[in-house]
Amino acid sequence: MKNKVMVLTKVIFKNSFQNMETAKSTNESKNKKSKSMIILYIFAFIYLAGIIGVFSNGLIKELIAINQEEMFLGLILLAIAIFVLIQTIFSAINLLYYSKDNEYILPLPIKPSEIVAAKTNVLLITEYSIVAILGLIPLTIYGILTSASILYYISMLIVLIAFPIIPVLISSLLVLIVMSFAKFTKNRNRFQLIATLFILVVVFALSFTMNDSTTTPEQMAQMVIKANGLVEMLRGAFPTLGMAIDGLTNVSLENQILNLFLLVVTTTVIYIIYIAVGQKLYLKGAVGNLYSGKKNKKKLDEAKAFKKSTLFKTYVGKEFKILIRNPIFLMQCVLPAILFPILIIVLTFAGMKGEQNGVEMDITSMVTNKTSIYLGVGILCAIQFFLMFIYISATAISRDGQNAVFMKYIPVPLMKQIDYKVFPNIVMTTFMNILTIVMVEYLLKLPIIYLLLITIAGIMMGVLQSYISIIVDLKKPKLEWSSEYAVVKQNMNLIWPVILGLLNITVMIILTVVVSGFINSYIFICIIAVVYLFLTMLVRNYIEKNTIKLFEKIY
Amino acid sequence: MIKIENVSKSYVKGKKSIDNLNLEIKDGEIFGFLGPNGAGKTTTIKMITGILNIDEGDIFIDGKSITKEPIDAKKEFGFVPDSPDMFLKLKGIEYLNFLADIYGIPNEKRKERIEELTKKFEIYDNLNSEMQSYSHGMRQKVVICGALLNNPRNWILDEPMTGLDPKSSHDLKEMMRKHIKDGNTVFFSTHVLEVAEKLCDRVGIINKGKLVFVGTYEEMKNKFKENKSLEDLFLEITENEE
Ligand SMILES: Nc1ncnc2c1ncn2[C@@H]1O[C@H](COP(=O)(O)OP(=O)(O)OP(=O)(O)O)[C@@H](O)[C@H]1O
Ligand SMILES: [Mg+2]
Repeated sequence: MKNKVMVLTKVIFKNSFQNMETAKSTNESKNKKSKSMIILYIFAFIYLAGIIGVFSNGLIKELIAINQEEMFLGLILLAIAIFVLIQTIFSAINLLYYSKDNEYILPLPIKPSEIVAAKTNVLLITEYSIVAILGLIPLTIYGILTSASILYYISMLIVLIAFPIIPVLISSLLVLIVMSFAKFTKNRNRFQLIATLFILVVVFALSFTMNDSTTTPEQMAQMVIKANGLVEMLRGAFPTLGMAIDGLTNVSLENQILNLFLLVVTTTVIYIIYIAVGQKLYLKGAVGNLYSGKKNKKKLDEAKAFKKSTLFKTYVGKEFKILIRNPIFLMQCVLPAILFPILIIVLTFAGMKGEQNGVEMDITSMVTNKTSIYLGVGILCAIQFFLMFIYISATAISRDGQNAVFMKYIPVPLMKQIDYKVFPNIVMTTFMNILTIVMVEYLLKLPIIYLLLITIAGIMMGVLQSYISIIVDLKKPKLEWSSEYAVVKQNMNLIWPVILGLLNITVMIILTVVVSGFINSYIFICIIAVVYLFLTMLVRNYIEKNTIKLFEKIY
Repeated sequence: MIKIENVSKSYVKGKKSIDNLNLEIKDGEIFGFLGPNGAGKTTTIKMITGILNIDEGDIFIDGKSITKEPIDAKKEFGFVPDSPDMFLKLKGIEYLNFLADIYGIPNEKRKERIEELTKKFEIYDNLNSEMQSYSHGMRQKVVICGALLNNPRNWILDEPMTGLDPKSSHDLKEMMRKHIKDGNTVFFSTHVLEVAEKLCDRVGIINKGKLVFVGTYEEMKNKFKENKSLEDLFLEITENEE
């Protein structure tokens, strides 16, 4: 059995990642090019790792100064757990139910438990890549700064390998349970959508109840103030978190080893239970009829069916339809624009609660200078951060897959089509922008003119990002994919919005620090908006001049 | 009318997938494009339709250069690609309306045209469901309907018969014949030699990127001075060209 699982794991893993290799390149110059791309990606990785490293370094030093450095371990592990929980929900839905390899694997004489085990392995392997950045770097820095012994590093490796497993299993199980109801539904597409949204709501409800636990508001506020509060609260609900923290903390050797041992044993037990439950759910579930595709013959409404509309409307409408009808695209491209600001609402309410009970947490009055240049730029940085997760434009070409060539043989100028394809991204970034600003206003009560300027600058930033992202997609389109998921997740292009976004944040902050002494904040935000506008025109102009060359790879 | 002038193309440097191709498809003819797998049929069609950039030479559709006046040239043809999986998340009717909007077809004419074409291919009743739920042949039919929607003068079809049932295939052939009667042009690639023999006014055979024969079936028989079937001639022609 073990052997089969290993082989299957390998096959599934390779299959889901084969698209990452640069296909279509056989000659030398292309090889050179892809080599330089690899070097670029390594740099990007180092850049990301560097930012996390610098951040960890600063935070740990602060904590050491107040003798609270162990809080850092809890925070990092919590961050890993949350990240893995959310991440796995997306990848589990895809890998277990939407992936095309099901068509080949299910007819093979393999036990369901083996399939579930192999697929879970793939999920785990994928998650470890995140853990490597999010866990290994900060915890190593922690080890160096606290001059830890070799024992710490060994424990660290054990914790980093064992700890992420349970969050993966929890999310995957959640997906298995919800999806096993699919066989009761007639309209598969709608069900997928509803189920996906349901899972997301559960995730957010969970994160809400975490804040809304039965502790008294006073205790709660103190916990939040302590920053470590969430970790402490979760220790009870999530035992392995405590084990992992204690396994890294050097109270006594026996204690440390005991906790590591407990962590590994708990993880193993839960894994065995998971496989036992999972295999029943998986086969019972939607797998059998996922690909049957129901043919419902609804009559055409002849009065409405043949209506002419403008090119803009029809093209943008088509883009939106494809985005929204595809659960994976919807989750990855559209929902982040809504979910991120909503996540802030949830956190905001948690903060407000503390305030109501007399504890000094009144954010509104905490900010004394409502037109501070730092405040304005800070909000813009937050918006830029959210922008990095709106992929509509960065996958606009790739999402069409083999259909991308359609753009080239219809009699519509390519530049026009680019504008249409970018438009949904602009709509969603603008929407996210306004949502964020409304929340900021609710919290901070800024002067309306200042807020308006920030909104305009934010929107311009979104437009600029939309156009830059589509260049990235045009230069390295990913047109041959096995499942929708590969386009939006296993797509190295998506690192570019992140890199450029971080770069933008860095430049903005440096500029602000430099000019903050002698420039009016209103004027500065105006300048930022104008600069974005100018850059957008430049980028659009570049695309217009180079359309033929940019579309070269789409055939 | 489609005119291909001295066209060459290489995907990979130094290896020409199309080598100095010259071809003219006249008004009022059905032209069949034959050749073994990997000969360069799809590549040629992709260059005619503007999907693939041309390395050397130029292509004219009704006198309009696909490289210099691409938008005007693209208005002159309807194209059926080799894979029928177009925008599967759209409903059939949405796809057809989308195309009708692109070609600016007015309300009345679009209704008439969509009904005529889809009823002929017996997919009218399926138009209101997503194309994902269509069979291979049904998808192919929708794509064909879409390409013929605005009644273009030139039809360019890459293996249009694959997946079609005998009746639909027959209907398509009838439509081609009717289309060229008005002085229009049909250019299509196929592997079915029988279709080429019975339907086409002229055929072109391409092998390893080079055009090895152009002309009628009769001319082919004369040239090789053998009274063989098209199949045997085809095998001979593509074999000899090493
Ligand atoms: N995307 C590509 N990258 C590199 N080479 C390609 C690409 N597409 C086609 N080729 C090469 O170009 C040549 C012609 O291919 P083409 O697709 O035009 O053949 P075809 O005549 O349409 O074949 P078939 O009958 O199988 O459809 C082949 O040698 C093929 O290997
Ligand atoms: Mg072909």
